[in-house]
Amino acid sequence: MTQAEIKLCSLLLKEHFGEIVEKIGVHLIRTGSQPLRVIAHDTGTSLDQVKKALCVLIQHNLVIYQVHKRGVVEYEAQCSRVLRMLRYPRYIYTTKTLYSDTGELIVEELLLNGKMTMSAVVKKVADRLTETMEDGKTMDYAEVSNTFVRLADTHFVQRCPLVPTIENSDLGPPPPAPTLVVNEKDMYLVPKLSLIGKGKRRRSSDEDAAGEPRAKRPKHTTDNKEPIPDDGIYWQANLERFHQHFRDQAIVSAVANRMDQTSSEIVRTMLRMSEITTPSSAPFTQPLSSNEIFRSLPVGYNISKQVLDQYLTLLADDPLEFVGKSGDSGGGMYVINLHKALASLATATLESVVQERFGSRCARIFRLVLQKKHLEQKQVEDFAMIPAKEAKDMLYKMLSENFISLQEIPKTPDHAPSRTFYLYTVNVLSAARMLLHRCYKSIANLIERRQFETKENKRLLEKSQRVEAIIASMQATGAEEAQLQEIEEMITAPERQQLETLKRNVNKLDASEIQVDETIFLLESYIESTMKRQ
Amino acid sequence: MAGNKGRGRAAYTFNIEAVGFSRGEKLPDVVLKPPPLFPDTDYKPVPPKTGEGEDYMLALKQELRETMKRMLYFIETPEEKQDIERYSKRYMKVYKEEWKADWRRLPREMMPRKKSKKADPKSKKAKDTDKGTLLANTADVLKKIEELEKRGNGEKSDEENEEKEGSKEKSKEGDDDDNDNEDAAEEEYAKEEQEEENGYINSYFEDGDDFGAESDDNMDEATY
Repeated sequence: MTQAEIKLCSLLLKEHFGEIVEKIGVHLIRTGSQPLRVIAHDTGTSLDQVKKALCVLIQHNLVIYQVHKRGVVEYEAQCSRVLRMLRYPRYIYTTKTLYSDTGELIVEELLLNGKMTMSAVVKKVADRLTETMEDGKTMDYAEVSNTFVRLADTHFVQRCPLVPTIENSDLGPPPPAPTLVVNEKDMYLVPKLSLIGKGKRRRSSDEDAAGEPRAKRPKHTTDNKEPIPDDGIYWQANLERFHQHFRDQAIVSAVANRMDQTSSEIVRTMLRMSEITTPSSAPFTQPLSSNEIFRSLPVGYNISKQVLDQYLTLLADDPLEFVGKSGDSGGGMYVINLHKALASLATATLESVVQERFGSRCARIFRLVLQKKHLEQKQVEDFAMIPAKEAKDMLYKMLSENFISLQEIPKTPDHAPSRTFYLYTVNVLSAARMLLHRCYKSIANLIERRQFETKENKRLLEKSQRVEAIIASMQATGAEEAQLQEIEEMITAPERQQLETLKRNVNKLDASEIQVDETIFLLESYIESTMKRQ
Repeated sequence: MAGNKGRGRAAYTFNIEAVGFSRGEKLPDVVLKPPPLFPDTDYKPVPPKTGEGEDYMLALKQELRETMKRMLYFIETPEEKQDIERYSKRYMKVYKEEWKADWRRLPREMMPRKKSKKADPKSKKAKDTDKGTLLANTADVLKKIEELEKRGNGEKSDEENEEKEGSKEKSKEGDDDDNDNEDAAEEEYAKEEQEEENGYINSYFEDGDDFGAESDDNMDEATY
């Protein structure tokens, strides 16, 4: 793992789980697989705290354990999974667009808790939804269950690996750690539960009259008297499925930008049809016949068969090669070239970065070298129609930032520089890796800057929170306008200004983080797809 | 070999024209110091995207940040002991419940081993050997449990004894050692929960923080 990734993981872990978990997590990421005692010794933390931290990390699927010989259990951290924590808002928002508020809360609970049983999720989500509803209305468990089942059917949530049931006692002493079994068949199988109930509203202290008296409320808030029917079956959010969805979204919007709405709808239909049949890492989807596509077009899109055929031909002929024609049966068999699409998206990202950093003339040179693969200095000047001095300057700038690389072709065996060709070329894979690394660094910088800004104004923030609390409590007990005015004036105008600036800056930094994460997703998908093909 | 033209005279080993400079031209200055930390950029960055989705995600992100800090998974760093313990600190402490993991899914060494507050060194040793050695015979375990009961603390409540008997019965049915160990662990948990209700100050000895926390294994000294 690169230093930039480790730094970013450290910041994320500290923000979400605290310093102790961060120390253990970063140590594991740095050193790889280690047993418990070695971790405690190397980090200098007490065994108890290491255990707590590891429990939290395992619960959130950030650390896995393996039993090695002689019964030693070793723990390994998943650095890439830690980096996914940046994308949580995107996952939750996507679920909201697909399955509305209920789905959104289900996925949010699963992401925040790592893994949960279905009954626990349903109960919690129902309670949360009931809070937001008007007085008197409650959320039924059945509705939440339905949404959960739909999420499982479309593979957005999946079962966690199970603990195997130990049948007989001949096995001798139990293993030091359970080996979790992944059951492919049952991964999306929802257990038969009859969850009857309604969401409970959290009673405020005023409404005690109807509720149970305080004293009788049990010490533990959860009723663990009755056995949970789906005990041991835990669910987690299926991040791969979300990534597949984001990739499809990116392809569809790229087609929409390049051509028009109708073609993007056609591509979306094709992708939807291949969702379940094609594994997400395949280079292209299964071939679909034009007739099938015509039948599966969304209702309301009444384009005739010929128009559809024309669109498909146009898409297949496009130089970007998102769609390819693989045969002629059934009216024409078409596939979507997933790998090529990802490569085009990654290349477009690189071009855009060059343009924003160095200017449009540099971008012209960059696109030229991309297109022609290898060019000499002189040829670059000629093809790009840019004067020699400037062209040289731009090429060197891009070379120093590693967007462009040099390829040496010697004329003589002694590689004399005066008798060697130096060709400029763009290696997309390595440029993408370089850019990804920079993205990690940028997000780390953004997070640090945001934390710095918050820390600088900590005193002011606390003061404003206190004032708000006072105002809220005074309003609840009914205060006059004049008194409220007086309290509000405790924060002076320049302080208010400062707060405004702080809020604006923090929002901007947060928004930038989210956007850089989108670029990270594209680049990572491209690199992963390329590595799989090799 | 390759044309010694340059005795004592500066000559380039490569064709200077290929790099783009013409002969005799003034070459750019040599760089004497590292580039500035925040160089001026000619092109300012593009403003971030705005839109309904982005606004929602932004609000969500900030909300999630706050929520995570309040969750049970967020482990606070223990504060260092201050010289003068402030009176108000005792009452301002926010008590977070301990989050209970599902122990069936975790390696056995994860379970926190409670130091017994009463003098129980021998039973602790017995439990340690239980976990370590291969006790294929449940009868041995039963004998040990009986010994412990006889030796055990007078202050152990009835429920504890019932649990031991319960565990004895279960072992008699021929379950594997797993149950014994699970019960041993449960006992320790039960002890922990019951001790909350007696008169001892819980915070007097925190878990392995300062007092004799070098190793969990050598519990020879009884703690009072």
